[in-house]
Amino acid sequence: MQSNAALEYDYSVAKLFTYTTILFGFLGMLIGTLIAAQLAFPELNYLLGEYGTFSRLRPLHTNIVIFGFTLSGVFATFYYSAQRVLKVSMAESKFIMFIGKFHFWLYFVGALLGVISLLLGYTQSKEYAQFEWPIDIVIVLVWVLWGVAMFALIGIRREKALYISIWYYIACFLGIAMLYLFNNMSVPTYFASGGLGNILHSVSMYSGTNDALVQWWYGHNAVAFGFTVPIVAMIYYFLPKESGQAIYSYKLSLLSFWGLMFVYLWAGSHHLLWSTVPDWMQTMGSVFSVVLILPSWGSAINMLLTMKGEWNQLTENPLIKFMVLASTFYMLSTLEGPIQAIKSVNAIAHFTDWIPGHVHDGVLGWVVFMIMAALFHMAPRMFKREIYSKKLLEAQFWLQTTAVVLYFTSMWIAGITQGMMWRAVDEYGNLMYSFIDTVTVLHPYYAIRALSGVMYLTGFLMFAYNMYKTMTSSRELTEEPQFRSPMA
Amino acid sequence: MFHWLEKNPFFFSVGVFVVIAFAGLIEILPNFAEASRPVVGLKPYSVLELAGKNIYMKDQCIACHSQLIRPFKAETDRYGQYSLSGEYAYDRPFLWGSKRTGPDLHRIGNYRTTDWHENHMWEPTSVVPGSIMPAYKHMFTNIADIETAYAEAVTVKNVFATPYGDEIKGTRAAWEAHKPAVLAEAAKIAADMKNKDVKDAVAAGNIPEVVALIAYLNRLK
Amino acid sequence: MNALMIKGLLFAAILIGATIYVVNSMNIDLSDPINMIAMIGAVAIAVLTVGVSIKYINQMKTDTAGGELADESWDGIGEYKNEVPSGWAYSWLGTAIWAMWYMISGYPVNAFSQIGQWNEEVKAYNTKFEEMHKTADAATLRQMGESIFLVQCAPCHGTTGDGLSGKAQDFTSRMTEAQVLAVIEKGSNQLGYPMGAMPPMMATGQDAKDIAKYIAGGMKGEQPASFAACASCHGADGKGMAGMSPNLTGYDETLVGNVVKNGKKGALGRMPAYHDRMTPVQVKALSAYIQTLKGE
Ligand code: HEC
Ligand code: HEC
Ligand code: HEC
Ligand code: HEM
Ligand code: HEM
Ligand SMILES: [Ca+2]
Ligand SMILES: [Ca+2]
Ligand SMILES: [Cu+2]
Repeated sequence: MQSNAALEYDYSVAKLFTYTTILFGFLGMLIGTLIAAQLAFPELNYLLGEYGTFSRLRPLHTNIVIFGFTLSGVFATFYYSAQRVLKVSMAESKFIMFIGKFHFWLYFVGALLGVISLLLGYTQSKEYAQFEWPIDIVIVLVWVLWGVAMFALIGIRREKALYISIWYYIACFLGIAMLYLFNNMSVPTYFASGGLGNILHSVSMYSGTNDALVQWWYGHNAVAFGFTVPIVAMIYYFLPKESGQAIYSYKLSLLSFWGLMFVYLWAGSHHLLWSTVPDWMQTMGSVFSVVLILPSWGSAINMLLTMKGEWNQLTENPLIKFMVLASTFYMLSTLEGPIQAIKSVNAIAHFTDWIPGHVHDGVLGWVVFMIMAALFHMAPRMFKREIYSKKLLEAQFWLQTTAVVLYFTSMWIAGITQGMMWRAVDEYGNLMYSFIDTVTVLHPYYAIRALSGVMYLTGFLMFAYNMYKTMTSSRELTEEPQFRSPMA
Repeated sequence: MFHWLEKNPFFFSVGVFVVIAFAGLIEILPNFAEASRPVVGLKPYSVLELAGKNIYMKDQCIACHSQLIRPFKAETDRYGQYSLSGEYAYDRPFLWGSKRTGPDLHRIGNYRTTDWHENHMWEPTSVVPGSIMPAYKHMFTNIADIETAYAEAVTVKNVFATPYGDEIKGTRAAWEAHKPAVLAEAAKIAADMKNKDVKDAVAAGNIPEVVALIAYLNRLK
Repeated sequence: MNALMIKGLLFAAILIGATIYVVNSMNIDLSDPINMIAMIGAVAIAVLTVGVSIKYINQMKTDTAGGELADESWDGIGEYKNEVPSGWAYSWLGTAIWAMWYMISGYPVNAFSQIGQWNEEVKAYNTKFEEMHKTADAATLRQMGESIFLVQCAPCHGTTGDGLSGKAQDFTSRMTEAQVLAVIEKGSNQLGYPMGAMPPMMATGQDAKDIAKYIAGGMKGEQPASFAACASCHGADGKGMAGMSPNLTGYDETLVGNVVKNGKKGALGRMPAYHDRMTPVQVKALSAYIQTLKGE
């Protein structure tokens, strides 16, 4: 342990990504709220002509929150925390600074082009891989730049052993690199046809069932390496740092990490249960999903135990509240997922609103909570001012917690009801409900979900405002806070 | 052992990569050759149908509709015969979807018809009161990009050996020569439709998006 | 149990209770194995997540942190060398062993066929309903017909069977004048009656109009003389000569059966063919139901 008080960390790249996290978070959730409202009130489909229908906007929502909001958050927290746990400053290397800034700007331009292209209807139609091939290439370059920055920082580190967060950031980098490449392989039709048609159009390298396999090998693990692994990286840094507590158990961290790495990819075929992929593959996806509960819960439990004896922090510090609740929502979605992966349960759950319910337990309760807490922790250190308002933070916490609960309870009930209505037969053995019956019955739940969206979005605006004030006008700090973030 | 790894980023990364890549090799590769074989009698999509598929993608019907009938009696009663792997052999990308806000469409061509789709795409509630599906009126005026669909047919023929005939060739002349056949196919569909703009457009040699989309939907059987 | 745990479990109970309430209000049979397993899964999710996470959160209140610290510290973050919680370790071991057992000997991965299961499901269905369907009386058929109609036919013919203002056949009456005129003009050969095709232009001009008016009016009042051209095939009463050609006065079983099986393209549009997707009992039920729709 060397104390190197002279080290000045350079947060310029982390700050840039912080801004885009807020920007894309707002945009993505605004669209999320709009599409939620469209399912309850279909007239809202016609606000923007052909560009405003639910179907055009839904991929926009998913891509903005994943590639805009979540990835920005991952990059921001990486550029912030990696310097600190590796004990090197980006300012020490002109090369790394250049790569970092280039990484940001290429990312930002790519993200804007991506949004526009989806609005215009250029899409490969594979979930979470919708971007057409030119944008895919930009994403690959962005990813390479991140890798260069990451391994360059690791290369010049002063702290010999890698901290747990770095393990997870590395895994995020490698996992997505591999999956993204394979799943987005496609042939641009313009070049393969001697210059006919639209230059942006392409066809997938794989067809039918094979395409489905590759897609959900990717899709499941985009969740794993996009919504899970880097968020675990964050909580392993920000929770102990904000609370001043030591990690409960190294062994638990270790077993959870390698367990997660090993098991996660086997589970991908749980997205293809009862489809035309071979039965044995489905069974394996189902079984490994259940095994996956424990390595997932391991990290969550490790975090909860890190806070052992610290109840007062939980009641007094809203950032700790966010992170502890994030852990429990992580537990919820990583138990819910495996149970939905049991074949008999999936027969009901698949294709219904129970799946978006599961998704948003994870993303709203875990991903967004964790990213917001991390940015709140970073702000006083990056901008050298205290957090603008604790009251606002508390209010935001309760508003958004209520919103998540409303979201998942409504979708849970809606999904189970719909799934069972599709199967229901009358006393003569004929289908009991026409399809439209199973749609109209969901109206109240869709309305509740839309309300929860408005609440959650409002909470996010409170976050954005609090951050903005923290950056610009709250009380300046003379000294970097050691643990707990100061707030007014 | 692990602590050693944690001090050697290179081997650490290799270790992580091997552990995560492992499952893909065992679970995905073995199936590759087998699953892409077409069922007997499966025909590749016509150029018009491909154009319709591209509109299905452009407007992301997949956001609400699946194309995968699971082997449950309730599902085969509602939608017809369960789906078979070989039926998707020419689907690039696959369009199974993951959410049924609306019904499955894998065999929609068996139980809905051109005129019904015309009414439904124009205003879903006019045929299904209470429907929450958006109206796609813009498809009645937007013109479909048939040339790109033709380029797609050429691509899958050349690169993936999809069995198209000689009329599909990667030259502008071949495309010009094939155009009338596509128009004729469109004209048959337009004949079953009532919308005047659509009929006029087809008569003038342009194919509105909705015509291509209906060709595609009718093909789903 | 402390207050937090009680509140948490109460929440779980309310969630489950509400789900069961809603599902029940839709008349869903929870004893169906798939429904039951899904419901048990839902209960497990709610109870386990709430229970276990609150157990650990409670430790924040009661326990104290401690243990041997590792040498390293990253940016001031330390790490204890505590053992893993035994419940967690055993659960993991348990699921891993279970997984091995499941894939190797319990339900070997290559031993299940979803298509086989579908076959069994269909067979079980047939044994359950065959008897009932064989002996269905008129009232049962009408009820059956109604529910089939609402699922399969209502998207085109409307939930009341009125044809959605001319988009498809209106079952509250027989045919409109325009429909009849179109058949007279173009003929028809698609329904598969023993008589085969109906030739075009069996009547023209005013004759055709009179006939159309007569048929559309339900074949009441005085029969136009020109109807003789039709009577040779459809019978003087227009009832189709016992299934040789379509009944022009009502939706009998033969007509419904033929249209459902073969589809129909007419003046209104095209009706899809169901080929063999409807059983004979279902067709019978449909025609029984459709006959109840005619308004007087
Ligand atoms: C917001 C969700 C949504 C979107 C987006 C959507 N649909 Fe639908 N669709 C529905 C719903 C709900 C139904 C059932 C009610 C009805 O028939 O209108 C439906 C029904 C259908 C049906 C009739 C199926 C049947 O069995 O009766 C077809 C065909 C269809 N949609 C095609 C499309 C196409 C093509 C697109 C894209 C251009 C599309 N839909 C986009 C929700 C949607
Ligand atoms: C040669 C025998 C024959 C004659 C003569 C004939 N029909 Fe028909 N008609 C048929 C047959 C057979 C069908 C069924 C056609 C099919 O399968 O599409 C039919 C169908 C119809 C239908 C359609 C019924 C439905 O429900 O779709 C109408 C209406 C009809 N005939 C009216 C007439 C009228 C009016 C005349 C006289 C002007 C007439 N038919 C003369 C044999 C005949
Ligand atoms: C996709 C739309 C569609 C569906 C689904 C549909 N129909 Fe039809 N049906 C039509 C149309 C359109 C017509 C009118 C054809 C014409 O005469 O122009 C029609 C006509 C009929 C007729 C013929 C009336 C006559 O006198 O010829 C019968 C009987 C009928 N339908 C019964 C059914 C039944 C029973 C079902 C469900 C099992 C059903 N239809 C489903 C569209 C549909
Ligand atoms: C143990 C961990 C998990 C398992 C086994 C799991 C399992 C599943 C299953 C079975 C589905 C439904 C597939 C279907 O029937 O359509 C699903 C969907 C999904 N899950 Fe999870 N889940 C896990 C954790 C998570 C977490 C933590 C998140 C996010 C933070 C998440 C995000 C998603 C998403 C986005 C989908 C939707 C995929 C789609 O578009 O269809 N999952 N998951
Ligand atoms: C204000 C908050 C939000 C609202 C109201 C909202 C609403 C929605 C809606 C309505 C859908 C479509 C569901 C359907 O098709 O039935 C959806 C899908 C999705 N959303 Fe959100 N969303 C919000 C925030 C987020 C965030 C922050 C993320 C990720 C970080 C996210 C990730 C996703 C994903 C991955 C899907 C696709 C799920 C699937 O395909 O199964 N959402 N959201
Ligand atoms: Ca892509
Ligand atoms: Ca999905
Ligand atoms: Cu998954």
